[in-house]
Amino acid sequence: MMVELINCVVPEHPEEYHDVFVYLEHKNGKLTRGSLEMLGKSEELAHKLNEKAVGVAVGKNLKEIAAEAESYGCDVFLGAEVTDFSGFSSVAYTEFITSFVEQYKPNIFLISGSREGRDLVSRIAIRARTGVAADCIELDVDVPNRLLIAWRPSFGDKTIDQILCKRHRPQMITSRPGSYKMPEKVENHKCEVTIKKVKMAKYAGDHKTIEFKQKDRLDLTSAKIIVSGGLGLGNASGFKLVKDLADSLGGQVGASRPVVDLGWIPYEHQVGQTGQTVRPKLYIAAGISGKIQHIVGMKASETIISINTDPEAPIVKFSDYFINADASKALPKLTEEIRKVKAGTPASSPG
Amino acid sequence: MVLWHGPTPRVAMESSTSSGDIVALKMIVMMKQVPDAEEIFIDPVKYTLNRSQARGIINPSDENALEAALKIKEKEGGDITVISMGPPQAESAIIECMGRGADRGILITDRVFAAADTYATSLTLAAAVKKIGDFDIIFAGESTTDSGTGHVGPGVAEFLGIDQVTYTVDSRIESGMLTAERELEDGIEVVSTKPPVLVTVLINSNLPRRSRLRLKVDAIRKGVEKWDHDTLSLPVDWVGLKGSPTLVGALKIPEERKRESRPVKLEEIPALVDELVKKGIIKIGDDA
Repeated sequence: MMVELINCVVPEHPEEYHDVFVYLEHKNGKLTRGSLEMLGKSEELAHKLNEKAVGVAVGKNLKEIAAEAESYGCDVFLGAEVTDFSGFSSVAYTEFITSFVEQYKPNIFLISGSREGRDLVSRIAIRARTGVAADCIELDVDVPNRLLIAWRPSFGDKTIDQILCKRHRPQMITSRPGSYKMPEKVENHKCEVTIKKVKMAKYAGDHKTIEFKQKDRLDLTSAKIIVSGGLGLGNASGFKLVKDLADSLGGQVGASRPVVDLGWIPYEHQVGQTGQTVRPKLYIAAGISGKIQHIVGMKASETIISINTDPEAPIVKFSDYFINADASKALPKLTEEIRKVKAGTPASSPG
Repeated sequence: MVLWHGPTPRVAMESSTSSGDIVALKMIVMMKQVPDAEEIFIDPVKYTLNRSQARGIINPSDENALEAALKIKEKEGGDITVISMGPPQAESAIIECMGRGADRGILITDRVFAAADTYATSLTLAAAVKKIGDFDIIFAGESTTDSGTGHVGPGVAEFLGIDQVTYTVDSRIESGMLTAERELEDGIEVVSTKPPVLVTVLINSNLPRRSRLRLKVDAIRKGVEKWDHDTLSLPVDWVGLKGSPTLVGALKIPEERKRESRPVKLEEIPALVDELVKKGIIKIGDDA
């Protein structure tokens, strides 16, 4: 558990490092979406390198997790089955995962950038004396050099940077859940499963989970339709109109930072640099001028409609459609038309 | 080679009323000054960030980290040291933190620290914590807005060999233990652990106070200590670019999708909705 304050170390024999590790995070007996995406990616990279995709997991009921990983094409499964108490401890999990890294010496290690993944990745990397590229959006390999080529967006998304970890091993990265597509199921695939028993108490010390209050956080990142409101709504009650439109579309409600700061709507609705990064099929921005902090969080949306009284507002050039009107007029009109269409009346018919 | 033996838990926290040595709770807040995103430009030729014109602000979640520490200080007593790694200009952000109630400010600044990745940054900050000596809790913002990895807090905890509690929205001291609420994807986990511990704090988890003029004047009088790699006894090839296992290989400018910005009048909304339905952007009879 004690770590020397020492710089990163270049392994003497980097060629000893082989295969692609993936951390398999699981909740309620199922692999999380983020770890499935990473499993798919590890198989893709392993295939190019003619190596194996190796899933590592910590927790309980790992046989079921191994079976699920196998059904998605995982080649080797290394599990640390916790036999004493449940709960999470960064120190203990780091210990278990690091033991697999030291024993197996993977060349590449992919970890989903979920909360658990981001909690662990830095500790694991430092223990292995290597680096991490965070929040990558594109991964490839330089096959002859067995080098991972990772791309991550830079500050404000203005450039995409290639991050390399040329001499240290394993080459580690994270990607946010939702960055890649889900892997396909693989029929009749055989995974070599090894599960060892471990005890948390030995490492977790006084760290204890007292209580877990189940509560789903509003996840805008997986929303198909988002209607967001900004200062142009005029006041907090303007969000009623935003919600009506979102409801009529079966979508979610988003917001810009200023209105969250004003307390018009809770932070969990905030889209942008200090909120959530979203990519719905349809994004409607009502009364949002489009400061860069907001734009970086929604510009990947498939279709963007903005509603603004100011035709010079920055949001306009990021929009496919621009309704030059007051949000308090345009929102109810949109809601009304969508309700009509959903009720089966053609939208273009008079009335 | 330096071996970090880790701080020993501070017994005095057990109870403030019991007899015996009463040592004040010692807290450290790690803070970074970041450029205001609105004022950043990319040099179109060299592809480099032009941060020189951007106004420096306290990284938003670091403000929440400081506030979390100040709240504990109000209740339990103790003192707060703010440490920040960055260029000399970052001193103003440290003064601002002291103006809000931090007792001591240290700027870790040295040209050899430039271009450090999260490994080298964590190592440098851990060396600074080690030099500070005893502490009970280190608070840090969950991530920064300029690089946003969220790796430095846990990295420092790993180098120091101490426990960590990440993504907190609330933390307090209860009979010598730290109790904190962690906000996760599927709920709130309430954890308890014994200091020393590193706590990362989520943005918007509390309302950061404003600085007070009197405290700011005091801070300016007191000054901010400046530490470089010599002060920290760190070899130059352990820090900055040289001490970083990762490097930026190349940059590309993302292709911005050109959007049509087609103007739509209020009375044309029915036609717009019609078009969205025809294009399959709005689905009829699909509530998902």
